[in-house]
Amino acid sequence: MKKLALILCLFAGGLLLMNAHYLPMWGDPASPASTHVSPYFIENAYEHTKTPNMVAVVLADYRSYDTMFEAAVVLAAGFACFFLLRSRARGKKGGHHYYRHIPTGVTIKIEEGGKLPAENSKVFRSIDALWTPYDPIIQTTCRCLIPFLQIYSLYVLAHGHYSPGGGFQAGVVLGATIILLAISHNLKTSLKRMSERTAALWSIIGVFIFAGTGLLCLLLGMDYLNYEVLAPLLLSDEAMARSHSILIVEVGVTMAVMAVMVWIYYNLSSAGQQDEGL
Amino acid sequence: MDPIMMEFSQHSPVLIVMAPFLLGMAAAAAGWANRKWAFPMAFLGLLSGLIAAIHMLIKTAKGEILVYHMAGWLPPFGIAYRIDTFSALILTAIMAVALINLVASRASAEKDFTEKAPAWYALYVFFVSGLAGMVATEDIFNLYVLLEIASLSAYALIGMGHNRAPFAALNYLLMGTIGASFYLMGVAYIYIATGSLNMTDIAVILQEMGPNPTITMAFALCMTGLLAKMAAFPVHGWLPNAYTFAPDATTNVMAALTTKVSIYIMIRLVLSLFPLSLAFDTGIIADAMVWLATIGIFAGAFMALAQKSFKRMLTYIVVVEVAYMVGGFWLGNRAGMTGAMLHILNDAAMTLCVFMAVANIRARRGADAFSDLKGLFQTMPFSMGALVISGLAIIGIPPTCGFFSKWYLISGGIEAGHWGFVIALLSASIINAILFFKVFEIAFFEVPAETFGQNSREHESDHHTHHGLPSLAMAEARISMLIPLIIMALTLLALGFMTGGIVNLFIDPAIPGQVL
Repeated sequence: MKKLALILCLFAGGLLLMNAHYLPMWGDPASPASTHVSPYFIENAYEHTKTPNMVAVVLADYRSYDTMFEAAVVLAAGFACFFLLRSRARGKKGGHHYYRHIPTGVTIKIEEGGKLPAENSKVFRSIDALWTPYDPIIQTTCRCLIPFLQIYSLYVLAHGHYSPGGGFQAGVVLGATIILLAISHNLKTSLKRMSERTAALWSIIGVFIFAGTGLLCLLLGMDYLNYEVLAPLLLSDEAMARSHSILIVEVGVTMAVMAVMVWIYYNLSSAGQQDEGL
Repeated sequence: MDPIMMEFSQHSPVLIVMAPFLLGMAAAAAGWANRKWAFPMAFLGLLSGLIAAIHMLIKTAKGEILVYHMAGWLPPFGIAYRIDTFSALILTAIMAVALINLVASRASAEKDFTEKAPAWYALYVFFVSGLAGMVATEDIFNLYVLLEIASLSAYALIGMGHNRAPFAALNYLLMGTIGASFYLMGVAYIYIATGSLNMTDIAVILQEMGPNPTITMAFALCMTGLLAKMAAFPVHGWLPNAYTFAPDATTNVMAALTTKVSIYIMIRLVLSLFPLSLAFDTGIIADAMVWLATIGIFAGAFMALAQKSFKRMLTYIVVVEVAYMVGGFWLGNRAGMTGAMLHILNDAAMTLCVFMAVANIRARRGADAFSDLKGLFQTMPFSMGALVISGLAIIGIPPTCGFFSKWYLISGGIEAGHWGFVIALLSASIINAILFFKVFEIAFFEVPAETFGQNSREHESDHHTHHGLPSLAMAEARISMLIPLIIMALTLLALGFMTGGIVNLFIDPAIPGQVL
């Protein structure tokens, strides 16, 4: 069976290689891909949308419908992880629990069967079973890094009209900051900053901003996602309305990507229990 | 119609995808607000999808072809949806199947997933809107994006099943991803050769261009990918486990729709994107596909014979049905294609019906091994009635719809002189008959050793009749599962009676004139 698979793979690879010399040369300006639709985008993108970054225009306007569903795929991934992994069963790992006595800073271990402090106790705080000692260097470094990373992500988002960037990248950077917080401190700290409910709702709202913008265009009497019709609402002419709408949908994408990344991390790192984890 | 409705109705090609999708997100959000709202939102979403589909069905029946330009950009620059008679028919089938199963599955979904039920509803609706988009879109890359969302939701829906479901879902994920990658590579080759992603535009370019090895390669890649996605014979391995272990609520809709939509896409690509001469002129590709289907029919049917539980047996029948459609289509004549296209519709209906009947049995008896089916005709007469009708449809006995599509397939085979395929079809019918009558026999004549959980209480008086068989108290499935099932069973008969109209109005216009 393995040999058969190998032969099949070699056969398929050979076919692809044999076909390779029929393909146009790399970067050939006369190839169909560079002569059919590209010139239209290159010539008209700025005029249509007043946005210098053509990639952003193709992504968020000419082919905005694809991009919306890419954001939706990300959302579906978040829900898939939640649906498959999330469980409410708590404390199954090992059986013992660690708590910190806040007034003294002492860490105590409660063996299996021992009486646990109340969930909302002000004196004892539950800490991870795989608890590693407090590391001031890592925590301080990350605390310094996170705000700058977050500002940078906003820059990536806002500057998507002019340079490489945009919603997906900004969302990844922003999501990474929350995950960095969880890694450098612990899952509970980041859950306190951004709960699972927030992550889930943000991811839905993010995609909804994109899809809802499209719906608004439809309700105002134009085709789905045809931003032109939003011009009166955005107090601008049609081309600028497209430019502004690109930013609006990119904000939606950023929110969705960021929230889904964090949400998936929560579920993966704690095996769906969201109490403790890396 | 008043002007506002007129205005709104021209958007039905996009609303069929976006209305379910947006309301599916609302159902998801309900999970964190008020769980009670999740089902109504999902229901409303699929209902509005169904309304949009029926609206398009009526419009296309009048000879209109609906084209919708996303974001107002004309193709090939923007993404367009294009709905002809056949796509409208399939869209209606998708939405109707999904809606009926949603209603029927509500109770079991709420019970199985409790707090996560809203996520199930959301993924279910995402899955369905992905499939609908795949059918409606005219853009080959948009098709891939929608394929992604439908598949991703499908993996999650399957993974939540029992036993080895996570493993089966992983297997499906690997096969599905490989299939999708092949398709995507095909799209890349098409783009390299033509510079376009719009099906109609590409078809025009290819007509002017003449034979081109890159396009042949793209054709092979797309078809290979789709074969894996539709579980055609040598690459069907993921299907039986995935569908057996998935929750019943998921299996019902997935068995009815996933493979069918992949076949629809294969048909659409061959008929309206690639030049027909590429697919049929040499005869080598078409012949190979029909022989593959012939072998697939035999292999699937024999594997079905070897199964010991009902649901698992049915998953192999799904593999057989896929081979019918692939073979029928690649016969390359009008009768065969009509049969394949009609069978997409009929098979979606009868697969849903038979799986829903099994879901009812499993809900009552908790198992579906053949030995668990004893005495079912007495305890669940209505579910078994529906099962009999769907069984007859799968075997292909008139007046159920299954007979008519099979009739077209067989006459297509005879016309093409492809006797292997004809013999395979006939033997598959016989094997299906053996399979189903074995089930009916067990359920009708054999007596359960002990009365089953639910009805033992009602059965204390225990008076035996004098006909030889002890009478068992009725223990039907709950009414919300039974009514959708009966509707589906009646649909199978109705589709049978409407065959002529469906073929003339919706299928015939979709087959190009060159196909004789």
